[in-house]
Amino acid sequence: MLKILAPVILLVLVVAVTLVTDRPMPRADFAFVNRGDVNTLDLQKMSWMQDLRVARLLFQGLVANDVFTHDYAIIPAMAESWELSDDGLEYTFHIREDAKWSNGEPVKAGDFIYSWRRAILPDTAADYTKLFQLIEGASEYADWRQEQLDAYAQQDKSGLTDAQKRERAGALWDEAQAKFDEMVALQAVDDRTLWVKLELPTPYFLDLLAFAVFYPVYPPLVRQYESVDPETGFVQAKTGWTKPPDLVGNGPYILTSWRFKRDMRFEQNPHYWNSESLNLDTISIPSINDPNAAVLAYSSGVVDWVSDVTPAYRADMLVDKMRFYEENRAKYDELKAQGLDPFEIDRRLPDDPRKDIHAVTAFGTYWYNFNCLDTLPDGRVNPFADARVRRAFAMTVDKQSLVDDVQRLGNPVARTIIPKGSIGGYTSPEGLRCISDAKTEAERQEIIAEARQLLKDAGYASPSDVPTVEILFNKDGGHDLIAQVVQKNWQEYLGVSVRLAQKEIKVFRDDLKKQRYMVSRAGWYGDYGDPTTFLDVNRFDDGNNDRKYHNPKYEALLDQAAVELDPEKRMAMLSEAERITMDEDLPMIPLFHYMNVYLFDPDKLSGLNSHPRTEQNMYLIDILGDGKGSDKPLMMPPLLTTSAQSDIDPRGIESAILDRDELFALRTRPSETVPSKTSPAEEGGE
Amino acid sequence: MLGLIIHRLVQLPIIVLVIYTLTLSLAWAIPGNPLENPEGRQPKPEVIEAMKRQYNLDSFPNFYWSYLASATGVKYFNDWRSGEIEAERERAAAEGQAPPRRYVFDFGPSLEYEDWTVNEIVRDSLPVSITLGAIAILIALGVGVLAGIVGAVKPNSMVDLGTLMVALIGISLPSFVIGTVLLLIFPVWLGIGDVGSSSGPMDMLLPAVTLSLPFAAYIARLTRMGMIDALATDYVRTARAKGVSERVVLLRHALKNAFLPVLSYLGPAAALAMTGSFIVERVFNVPGMGQHFVNGVQNKDLFLIIGVVLVFATMLVLFNLAVDVLYRWVDPRIG
Repeated sequence: MLKILAPVILLVLVVAVTLVTDRPMPRADFAFVNRGDVNTLDLQKMSWMQDLRVARLLFQGLVANDVFTHDYAIIPAMAESWELSDDGLEYTFHIREDAKWSNGEPVKAGDFIYSWRRAILPDTAADYTKLFQLIEGASEYADWRQEQLDAYAQQDKSGLTDAQKRERAGALWDEAQAKFDEMVALQAVDDRTLWVKLELPTPYFLDLLAFAVFYPVYPPLVRQYESVDPETGFVQAKTGWTKPPDLVGNGPYILTSWRFKRDMRFEQNPHYWNSESLNLDTISIPSINDPNAAVLAYSSGVVDWVSDVTPAYRADMLVDKMRFYEENRAKYDELKAQGLDPFEIDRRLPDDPRKDIHAVTAFGTYWYNFNCLDTLPDGRVNPFADARVRRAFAMTVDKQSLVDDVQRLGNPVARTIIPKGSIGGYTSPEGLRCISDAKTEAERQEIIAEARQLLKDAGYASPSDVPTVEILFNKDGGHDLIAQVVQKNWQEYLGVSVRLAQKEIKVFRDDLKKQRYMVSRAGWYGDYGDPTTFLDVNRFDDGNNDRKYHNPKYEALLDQAAVELDPEKRMAMLSEAERITMDEDLPMIPLFHYMNVYLFDPDKLSGLNSHPRTEQNMYLIDILGDGKGSDKPLMMPPLLTTSAQSDIDPRGIESAILDRDELFALRTRPSETVPSKTSPAEEGGE
Repeated sequence: MLGLIIHRLVQLPIIVLVIYTLTLSLAWAIPGNPLENPEGRQPKPEVIEAMKRQYNLDSFPNFYWSYLASATGVKYFNDWRSGEIEAERERAAAEGQAPPRRYVFDFGPSLEYEDWTVNEIVRDSLPVSITLGAIAILIALGVGVLAGIVGAVKPNSMVDLGTLMVALIGISLPSFVIGTVLLLIFPVWLGIGDVGSSSGPMDMLLPAVTLSLPFAAYIARLTRMGMIDALATDYVRTARAKGVSERVVLLRHALKNAFLPVLSYLGPAAALAMTGSFIVERVFNVPGMGQHFVNGVQNKDLFLIIGVVLVFATMLVLFNLAVDVLYRWVDPRIG
């Protein structure tokens, strides 16, 4: 009998050992589901929204955004003050005396220079290296370094020993470091004074500094993980320093545990200069990737906030919320008239679980790319090289039905790539009209006729002359449903034949980068509060110009705007540039703007803001009524005049939907047409 | 016995090498560039080229040999001999920092999860999978053996047909259905346990039950067949004739022989259960290793694919060895 029981005893032992070594931790004060797992905490390499969100918890830049203002005002952070020279080029920052790293060491001006150098060096392959090239000399330096590396790689090193190679590569790196100090206009005047000179006056430079890729890493730590590759001369950074207990930050919280795809846990940073402002002792991010599990985790109290609600039934949850508003219409209208932000309105309405879901417009746009090259990489003639063809196709997409029948979240229809009203002082162009803009059937027919005429003008006497159009998109994320609608539109209104090409995300990306497509889906989230965050993607040499769109007039406008000191004139130039792409050239068809769907109890939670830029700072979170922190909800200043606001209503889409009864009717349709997004990788760049 | 163990342990590296070669060749052929972000801002082409060089991704033979060297510890040994590791330590001490972590058997960095090495991923996810798998196999053994004995004692009775039906359901129903149903019943309707939490042993129970069902069903059928055969043998008849109690006849005489096929099934079953199930992990949000088989391939994360496959292959060989050793110990006739 003992012999038979042997395997059982063995298994019990295994279970006992792992259970004893893996003790559960108590629930944190605040737990939330991030948009996806954190990809990297290396500040200079990051680009994902969930990474940036955690970065703002662990690190802090020279300045920060006050996210509870309508223009995301710049407020001091590591820098207590700064001066700008009259020509708008030179900034001098004064770092506060009590700015400390989490190990108690002071934050120095040199730490910023070290971190920014990492982003500028081609070795790091930083996604946002372009933003750093606003600094005088940075672009030239990156080119110089690249040439230096190329030359080194060409050298014949066959006869050298490993030690000799290592010595040579080391000398190469020493030279590169010296050259950086010489070429790039960055200087630590003293430990607490940082001087920066820009290539051009950049009105949004401070806004950039609030962006986490400009935050400092702790140089003594990161340096340990750097090594110079003797073969290529590259400075390689080993991974590992971003994890506890090694990680050193300068932000409000420190990372105490990070278990792969399991959870992250944070505690207050004892050396943080502004620790009195913090309301929570501990924060945790359990890793929950299944959309349905995230919602269930919220309902069973495991988490307090789901930052990206993606199951298909979220549209139905929003319908329930609309019903709740209907039931409380009088009170709702009264609160809305006071100009309160949507979260605060919810807070003042009666307690009801239906109000926990929130849809807010995001700073991002979903669009379709046109390949603008004359011929496709396989040698076929590309019909979309002609702007008239692109216009014809753009006009015949029924954007409203994409929003109403496919997305069903109340997304605003897009006519421009920059969400209207999301950037203060910027006036969006009109944008090309499409069939769903038609008010009457006659107008609809007129748009269709105009589109067909454009095809004729481009040399396609009959629609059958147009080669079969292929729409490229990646699997999952509901892109197939959108593509089917667009396919049907084009077949119906233009009479062309359309084929769908669905690929795995990596293959999709590869095809996109090599222009192996005619039409493809794409999307973009803005990074900072300036139109260039969107407009730069259409610059010919931009790494994200997958369309290979090229219009010298467009480039010239952006170049002029870059040196323009008068903000009003500058915005007008940028608006004209966007008009060229959105009214005339159409390198892409803007379809709709993204929505963020949140799940949280407004009566319990404060600190999340409803601004379209949707930058949420976890260090502002307060659990209301727990006796810790201020226990007073944060809210946006009331917006009493609506005239200053255009199409995008920063108070959230909910109010916009309420006014649209026909949309309400659509929302009660069966939900099988709603896409479910399983990973943020499928939706946007950030 | 010792000969068997040595023989198998000598075989192990050869088997693993063959698996490594096959896996790498297939993984290498997956289209797409592992170094590109699937979305978002892209580095310049020359930077990508340089990164490829850095990871030896520019040539198959280079990658094949360099990965082999670091995964088998040859690289660590060379660096140690050349004094590189010592130098690293000294540099770190000069900065007042801990030196970067080094692994003797280095499976490389994950290309998709930038901050993680494959070693760390396996370190964090394998214990979770082992615990889950062990609990599942325990449940499967308990339920399966019991159901098998009951079925064998009264073949074709209602009880037997009942267990057969349950076993059939256990084998046929996909685990995402069973998992979702269990999730709905326990945490959502009855309020027992949490969803999406993986902090304590209680959170392991539902996924373990889900994972155990197909194994339990198979074990039940194996036990039933073995027991029916055993109960018809002469020595059982003799035992009964001697007046031995039925309980002793079943457990001590019949089960001992009927258990042998179950035991040999246990090796691969345990390896399979303990390296995780993608679906169960996904439904219950268990941070185990199974997901990396699928995600690794989807992301073309070469290091991760090879890392998890090598770990799985090694476990499979070792578990089979353990089962063979147990087998001989339980049944001395073999050998």
